[in-house]
Amino acid sequence: MYSELLHALPDVFALTNFAAVVIGVIAGIVVGAMPGLSATMAISVLVPFTFGLEPLVALGLMAGIYNGAMYGGAIPAVLLRIPGTPAAVATTFDGYPMAQKGEGGFALQVAVVSSAFGGIASAFALMLLAPPLSRVTLLFGPSEVFWVAVFGLASIIFLLGGNPVKGLISACFGVFVSVIGSDPIYGNDRFTFGQLEMLDGINIVILLVGLYALPPVMDLLETPLKTDGVNASKLGTVSIWKALPRMNYWKTWLRGSFIGIWIGILPGAGGSMAAFMSYNEARRTSKTPETWGEGEPEGVAAAEVANNADTASALIPALTLGIPGTAVAAVMLGGLLVHGLQPGPMLFRDNPDIVFGFMWQFLFGAILLILLGGSLATNSFARLLNLPRPLLGSVIIVLMLIGVYSIHGRMFDVYLMLGFGVIGWLMDRLKFPLPPVVLGLILGGFAEENLRLALRIGRGDPMILFQNVTSLVLVALTVAVIVGPTLKKRYVDSRRTA
Amino acid sequence: MSESRNSRLRRPETLTALGIILVAAGFLIPTSNLRAISALLPAAMLIGLIVLSVVLLLADQRTASAGEKAAPVTKAPKRVIGAFLLIVGYALATDFIGFYVSTTVTIPLVAWVFGYRSPLGLLIATVIVVGTIWAIFDFGMSQDFPTGRLWGG
Repeated sequence: MYSELLHALPDVFALTNFAAVVIGVIAGIVVGAMPGLSATMAISVLVPFTFGLEPLVALGLMAGIYNGAMYGGAIPAVLLRIPGTPAAVATTFDGYPMAQKGEGGFALQVAVVSSAFGGIASAFALMLLAPPLSRVTLLFGPSEVFWVAVFGLASIIFLLGGNPVKGLISACFGVFVSVIGSDPIYGNDRFTFGQLEMLDGINIVILLVGLYALPPVMDLLETPLKTDGVNASKLGTVSIWKALPRMNYWKTWLRGSFIGIWIGILPGAGGSMAAFMSYNEARRTSKTPETWGEGEPEGVAAAEVANNADTASALIPALTLGIPGTAVAAVMLGGLLVHGLQPGPMLFRDNPDIVFGFMWQFLFGAILLILLGGSLATNSFARLLNLPRPLLGSVIIVLMLIGVYSIHGRMFDVYLMLGFGVIGWLMDRLKFPLPPVVLGLILGGFAEENLRLALRIGRGDPMILFQNVTSLVLVALTVAVIVGPTLKKRYVDSRRTA
Repeated sequence: MSESRNSRLRRPETLTALGIILVAAGFLIPTSNLRAISALLPAAMLIGLIVLSVVLLLADQRTASAGEKAAPVTKAPKRVIGAFLLIVGYALATDFIGFYVSTTVTIPLVAWVFGYRSPLGLLIATVIVVGTIWAIFDFGMSQDFPTGRLWGG
């Protein structure tokens, strides 16, 4: 089982594949450092550009961006008290006070080393846990696959938090978009309204760019943000090798990695929850909790290790079952589909070199972060905060148009993307979650095909969907995911009133 | 104090729910021409959208009657509308006038309108971005961009 992991290693060291990870990490840091931009947005914009690339080059870029962006979010969190990504909120608690004391450079180095530690632990978890899980899922038939899709949708709707009605509306919208085009079995048109461009269905990349790239661009243009200019000379950065001996946070790193990996595997939870939990645990067990919040470097370590530890682990359910743990993982599934790689058990059987190579790329992406923690790199990345936001916004608009136009070489897709962009912006503002839309689009067609196949096998009898233990377990899990949060809330409320 | 009936109906969530109900009902009409098995999933989703939107609408109206004000969708509507119009204008210009001309105008125009007013910075950024796109896509990958319908492209 793990021998395939070693077989995939030489390909990862091919010059183009390795360069892709390096470029991805640097690009990810740049994106993460810009408040309002995120790894999800960067990967959405990147995906259409990877059509003509080899799968490992494309996946290396994505792995690098994901790792880099999670650290990049710490740069404005430390220097401006503005988290570059949602996962970096907990980094502001101690990072910003450190910057005020003239220790901003050290705070960033703690962040980069902790991020690398979390990323490495997460990559190992992915390598160890995904292969055996994929073996189990190979035994699934059409009815089990249908229930896996339903479970995936239910978990991302109900475990994501927020309003479940809005989550369900998002998922229904995503599943509806997945049925547009020719019927997979009978071939009749569904909701194409005579447009030949829609016969093949809605390309996932068009939806991803519209939903995830346009809203941040609107934010960049809507809100003028004064960054006051960051003077890199005031950071007090020293060489990473001089800074490393000061970082004795092994317990925090190990605990935070465990929390991050666990949260990453859970569908619907995300890096910000992992960072908060890790920070709270580290503070609770600290001998000097009173110093936390006033510039305690261990606080930065606790937050950053956990938000990077959920990166690769979020891909464990995504690669094996097709259920992403986070929004970025959902977008990455879209990236895999672009290269004809259908997430799920068959991925490991049919494309072992690519899927295991992707895991190695996650590991190397995390290791590369340490090399980017030197004083020159830290000071250079800090200067990114001075980039003018309106200019950045206008460049991203151009990249969005090029990316979407390049898919089929037609403007129709660009107009469609703008339509999804307007919907995405409204959903974002009205707090409708976006990941269920993407998951609905990915799993909708998949679920429909398997449901219809199961019904054919059962000669139209719907009881075929409940006739084996695995299906019943998946139904029970789906019910638990739907009912669980409500029961938990009632329990907490009743204890409060008691 | 609770909102007036008119303003209660103009709450963003209420308007969104009404919009979803209308659009989903409109999409339900073509499902009657499909085979039952082909219509099963789309019809289920559309009916689901309608039912869920009714729930959302009722919940929002209950919140309104409790006196809770709805947060505005944007604090800077003029900037948002302006940004949308510029983006749509850029797409249309690319389609009708051509990619390179529209891009050369759009990058500095958007940045200028939204507050970045350094002529040298705008010039350098435009040259770098357009030049890089040409070098990578046109020269390196032979990717054709729209040349403009107005010129017969």
